[in-house]
Amino acid sequence: MNTLVSAPKAETAKPVPGKYLAFVLGGESYAIGVMHVREIIRPLDVTPVPRMPAYIQGVVNLRGKVVAIFDLRIKFGLPMPESLDRACVIVVQAHSSSGATTQIGLIVDTVEEVVALGAEQLDDTPSFGASLGTEYLTGMARIGSTVKMLLNIDRILEDESGPAAGSFGL
Amino acid sequence: MSDQSLLNRLFASLEGELTLVSAGSDQSQFPILDLLGNMRDEAREGDLAECARNAADRMVSIIESGKPFTADDVAWLQDVTAELRSILAPPASASKPAAAAPQAAAPAAPPEAAPAPAADMSVSLNLEGDGELLREFVTESREHLNNIEQGVLVLEERPDDADTLNSIFRAFHTFKGGAGFLNLIPINRLAHALESTLDLARQHKLRVDRPIVELILRGRDLLKLAVDEIEVRVSGSRPNEPFSLAFAALTAEALAVVEGGPAAVVIALPKAAPAPEAPASAPMPEKSAAQPTATVKVETSKLDSLVDLVGELVISQSLVAQDLTSLSRMDPQFARNVAQIGRVTRELQRVSMSLRMAPIRGAFQKMARVVRDVGAKQGKEVRLVTEGDDTELDRNMTEELTDPLMHMIRNAVDHGIEMPDARVAHGKPAVGCVHLRAHHQSGSIVVEIEDDGEGLSKERILAKAVEKGLAAPDAKLSEDEIFEFIFAAGFSTAQKVTDVSGRGVGMDVVRRNVERLRGQVAVSSTPGKGSLFKLIVPLTLAIIDGLIVKIGAERFIIPTLSVRESFRPQAGMVSTVQGRGEIVNVRGRLIPLMRLSQLFGVEGAATDPMAGVIVVVTTGTAVKCILVDSLINRQEVVIKNVGDLVRRANPAVAGAAILGDGRVGLIIDVHVLSSSSFAYADAA
Repeated sequence: MNTLVSAPKAETAKPVPGKYLAFVLGGESYAIGVMHVREIIRPLDVTPVPRMPAYIQGVVNLRGKVVAIFDLRIKFGLPMPESLDRACVIVVQAHSSSGATTQIGLIVDTVEEVVALGAEQLDDTPSFGASLGTEYLTGMARIGSTVKMLLNIDRILEDESGPAAGSFGL
Repeated sequence: MSDQSLLNRLFASLEGELTLVSAGSDQSQFPILDLLGNMRDEAREGDLAECARNAADRMVSIIESGKPFTADDVAWLQDVTAELRSILAPPASASKPAAAAPQAAAPAAPPEAAPAPAADMSVSLNLEGDGELLREFVTESREHLNNIEQGVLVLEERPDDADTLNSIFRAFHTFKGGAGFLNLIPINRLAHALESTLDLARQHKLRVDRPIVELILRGRDLLKLAVDEIEVRVSGSRPNEPFSLAFAALTAEALAVVEGGPAAVVIALPKAAPAPEAPASAPMPEKSAAQPTATVKVETSKLDSLVDLVGELVISQSLVAQDLTSLSRMDPQFARNVAQIGRVTRELQRVSMSLRMAPIRGAFQKMARVVRDVGAKQGKEVRLVTEGDDTELDRNMTEELTDPLMHMIRNAVDHGIEMPDARVAHGKPAVGCVHLRAHHQSGSIVVEIEDDGEGLSKERILAKAVEKGLAAPDAKLSEDEIFEFIFAAGFSTAQKVTDVSGRGVGMDVVRRNVERLRGQVAVSSTPGKGSLFKLIVPLTLAIIDGLIVKIGAERFIIPTLSVRESFRPQAGMVSTVQGRGEIVNVRGRLIPLMRLSQLFGVEGAATDPMAGVIVVVTTGTAVKCILVDSLINRQEVVIKNVGDLVRRANPAVAGAAILGDGRVGLIIDVHVLSSSSFAYADAA
């Protein structure tokens, strides 16, 4: 899936100044626009869904709504943290390319803080070549000496709703 | 300059109000005064302003007297209206006002509008100015037009039903008023002409016979077309170009009836209608008179989230109640309060689920028209008798049922009911009868369509099945098995392809639609006596009765409707067929076995069939055995959408439901599982 051309999304996925929720995923620093975040919850009892890609853990009951839970550490090949005590689920609102909105839950190591990012702190995603999966980022943000990766949540959903969803045909 | 179109509109409204005026009533006094005042102000000067001013002055004195209209007042109003019309549209109606005057004796008879224009005027919409109003007009009009249709069908049976006549009249009147206000002139005129026709009937000056019913129905259909046209323009799915329909011809026809007067009509058309034989048993009465209860329109998404939340409340409540019982020192007062919360919660759940429910009447009413039209087209006399109109079911379900019902009703009239002479020859009444019944049965709704026609011909179906290669010529088939063929794709025994049916896209589509709704269709028939089709569908699409099964550590829900039986297999029942997987011998019938644990990759499930339970599921004609570890229980669950994400990756998951402990259980799509084409691409 890394063979997807990156030209069109360079236009659609520019980092936008504003407030971001910072979190840790597999030991790395990430952030996501607060406009996407609906709520942050403690991990719930997950019902696994057969035949889903490994990084979709299953579905949970979020106050009567059924929400799919993603573990992006598996998708991005990141290590699991030693302790899961501080693990949280960030419920985000993602827009698929067809315009429909879906709520999904992202399991993260821990949630840090909300940061305001100005235009001068934002950079486009540097190109590491096709082998490093940077297509799920809208860009990078510099906060002091640290760097946070800005997650493109819509792009993650797009992977799943694309024609080649996982390796399963009908 | 005064605005001519506004004046025309005001005048149209005035004419509308006038139809409500009658001696001895004070209805419409204020609206008329208001309209006259507006006309006076708008016209500012000239004859029109003068005439309107005088009229308004007299209206003021009438209103101030505090008395209802007298016969003189009514006659005067007719004259004033005629005068106003002649000022507004001099050439066309100059010859008319005098003719209208004699009719003044009929207080509510609206004076004739200008003779129908020879050419059809086109209707153009002012979307910028009237967008919102037009939208409202469309919604309201649909309701009115439906009421009209229903009412006219009742009238056909009982032409003298004053309540029905009045309700149709009012519906036309309101419709006309709306059209006039929005300056939809041809629509307004047609509605007006039809209203006038009805008005004559209301005053017993015109007999409502077949031709009149036809006329009104045609008019109603044309108006519906017009409303459809407006709707597509308002919604923006089509450019806002003026449109024109054959309004003029129909308007002229209706006016001819009105002007032809009662006598001519009665003589020309002696009562051909089956009114005298209209059966007393016809359970149609009170339909139009059904008292409208106050309603509120609510977005379905809000309703859904209410149901979601109530479901959660039930779960939280039962968790609290469980915790409570484990508390050793229990305060009785506290326990009572918790129990009370439990009762209220359950009541709340019941009410919230019932919010979606509506009587099936709407769907049934549409059928009356179908029976009538199909019967008329084929020269058959058919009567529709409905029972259980008040049976409630999910509103979505009513909509989804309409198409299959319509199809089956058509079939019943087209294939079932014989021609009148053939019926008489067989010693049956010439008028055929189709019964449409609905009732609840153990959490489902049963809809029955019964005709007293010739019944299904086993021989013809079998011959056709053999011809189509569906059955062997020498096959020994039971009656049910033979009837089953009519649900096969492309199967029709109609001798000739008619307008309405016999094209072979029929019962298979019905069955598919009904199964999509998780329902079933059954048929039985007695030769010479008629056929009975039975639809059994759940009351709602939102809830299913589910069998909760355990596989490994996971729970899945199998819709009970497709479960035929379940049993613990005995040694030797399961055998492996080379290359075709496993089969189970169920009382001599060999049914393929699916191991859900393998298919779904669930770990820790029983591998030995003898340690598990076999659930036999059926969908249509396919039968499959599903191996599960154990059955947990059977309960009603609220279906939740799992989203495209899951459905795409695993089509065998139909949805999800929140189980009693608050966790999610997945609902298995038995149709997908048992379809022969289903297989995971990488399935071993």
